[in-house]
Amino acid sequence: MKIFAIPGLVSAFSLIVIWAALQLDLSPEMIVGDSMQPRVFPIFLMIINLVLAAFLTIQYRNNPPKKAKPDTYHTWCTMLLFVVFYLLTIYLDMFIGIAVVMFAMCLLWGERRILVAGAVALVTPITVFFLFDLVLRVRFPRGLLTNWYYG
Amino acid sequence: MIEAIQAMASVVTDPYLLFLIFATTVLGVIIGVLPGLGATTGAALLLPFTLTMEPVHAITVLATIYVSATFAGSITAILINTPGTSAAAATTFDGYPLAQRGEAGRALGIAVVSSTIGGIFSVLVLCIAAPMLARVAYEFRPPEYFALTLFGLSMLASISAGGTVRNLIGGCFGVWLATIGAEPTTGIERFMFGNYELYEGLAFVPVFIGLFAISELLIQSDRINQVVDTIGMKAVKLPTREDYKRIWKTVARSCGIGTFIGILPAEGATVASMIGYSEARRWSKHKEEFGKGSIEGIAGAEAANNAATGGAMVPTMVLGIPGSGTTAVILVGLMVHGLRPGPYLFTEQVGTVYQIFGAMLIANLMFLFMGLYAAKLFARISLVPLQLLWPIVFALAVIGAYALSSSLLDVWIVLIFGVVGFFARRNGFAVAPIAVGLILGEMVETNFQNSLKMFDGEWWQIPMQPLAAMFLIFAFLGLFGSPILAWIRNKRK
Repeated sequence: MKIFAIPGLVSAFSLIVIWAALQLDLSPEMIVGDSMQPRVFPIFLMIINLVLAAFLTIQYRNNPPKKAKPDTYHTWCTMLLFVVFYLLTIYLDMFIGIAVVMFAMCLLWGERRILVAGAVALVTPITVFFLFDLVLRVRFPRGLLTNWYYG
Repeated sequence: MIEAIQAMASVVTDPYLLFLIFATTVLGVIIGVLPGLGATTGAALLLPFTLTMEPVHAITVLATIYVSATFAGSITAILINTPGTSAAAATTFDGYPLAQRGEAGRALGIAVVSSTIGGIFSVLVLCIAAPMLARVAYEFRPPEYFALTLFGLSMLASISAGGTVRNLIGGCFGVWLATIGAEPTTGIERFMFGNYELYEGLAFVPVFIGLFAISELLIQSDRINQVVDTIGMKAVKLPTREDYKRIWKTVARSCGIGTFIGILPAEGATVASMIGYSEARRWSKHKEEFGKGSIEGIAGAEAANNAATGGAMVPTMVLGIPGSGTTAVILVGLMVHGLRPGPYLFTEQVGTVYQIFGAMLIANLMFLFMGLYAAKLFARISLVPLQLLWPIVFALAVIGAYALSSSLLDVWIVLIFGVVGFFARRNGFAVAPIAVGLILGEMVETNFQNSLKMFDGEWWQIPMQPLAAMFLIFAFLGLFGSPILAWIRNKRK
């Protein structure tokens, strides 16, 4: 059953894209001329992907893929930290998000010295912020800290 | 010609450029020795920092990172049996056993000298071959470009990691990503789902940072408890006269192999080093030493992987078709800085192009000295705790992605493609085909459309053009060459 998982996922994705492509507007003939409608190319690509998915199934049947090691707790928690970063950036401030995620990631990945983790989480975003703000003149999105800094 | 030589010589007389090459060579070596952080990730992370630089300085930074990180992967391959970059994987086969025998300094000496020779040879080939290829490329029209892009895509089939079918699926996915946004001819919005920030399509850099840096971060999260054995080393030794006698043929062969493989679209240093290594073994009179600390094995892999760097720049700059994952980032760097890759670059921006070549040449010499005098120090950097290194990479990735176009969407794209890249890699799919597909996607569609317009909708006229037909045959061989050869071999048996 597992040998169908990846080809099945590729096929499902391709079919969804084909469906989405079929919903695209048609361009008037006088604009398209001798060329092709904008939906044709993505559909063609996904048909190739469906054929490749069929080949992959055959390949997996003849030579089953090695069972992937289950993802560790650290990996899933790191992904969860990305969600935390998104929420903090949207509702508070991007740099608060970066500092919190860096600090949590240091501890999650095994750093036992809280002061070191805290220093890395504070010094890195502050340094990079000033580098981009003062040297590269990049304005960062508004939030608690940037509102206070930009005024 | 004189202008080209003057431009290359001007690198030596420009203190700022020399300092930049020195600083980025140091940075590139650091990036190369840190396991997981290869040349591609390093170049993708550094690209936003080059935004305010002059184009020549910006591309010099990226090209220097490319050559120095490719070399530096060998330091950790030899000393801790962990290749800093995938291109140094073949170096571990003999580098680490030689180091275990107490000859780490000799192994590093062979690696650094072979890498420098390979790198310099390929830059010289680049200087000669690129303008010649550019002259041919002037003749290219949409059908030729379409066929050439198909050839580039077909070469994804044999990119290092993954398998043929999985690489092609990744390539197709990448090409599809390129269709997101407004279709260039008609303006019809495709797969934007109401998000007008995607009107001009997916930006390359956030996708690359996600695919290469964030996916690697997630992979490293699984390896945080791994312990590495380090090997002590007194000093790096230059190869002796006897060593040179034994390796010169191998180095010469690998220079040719590496440069040729680098020139092939979508092939890179990893494939080059593997072939360089296996050819070194095939032609060696001391086959029994391979895998146990053969200096020819180290020289074969290292000369080939650095020779591939210059080779990979040829299709990147002349045709706009990346020769590897890192050159895909350099290609984006060229575009971001207003340098349109293609044959006209060699008539309109001769000075800039040759300054970049000159900088690559100097970078090769600089890492020779760094490799000889500071390899021990750099090897220590590889022991930086992962739990401190990767949170910093996360911060650089998200801030760098935002800085490119001041858009939070780019930050979300980094995270989304990081997760996509992670699951792809965990299931045996390489991410480089997605990146190359994304770059070539627009080229292949636009050139096909223009070809159709040129021939009044008669698509069969495309393979009737001699050059296009040649590229289509190459594409066919790229896709089906190995199965056909295997079938012929089976038939003979």
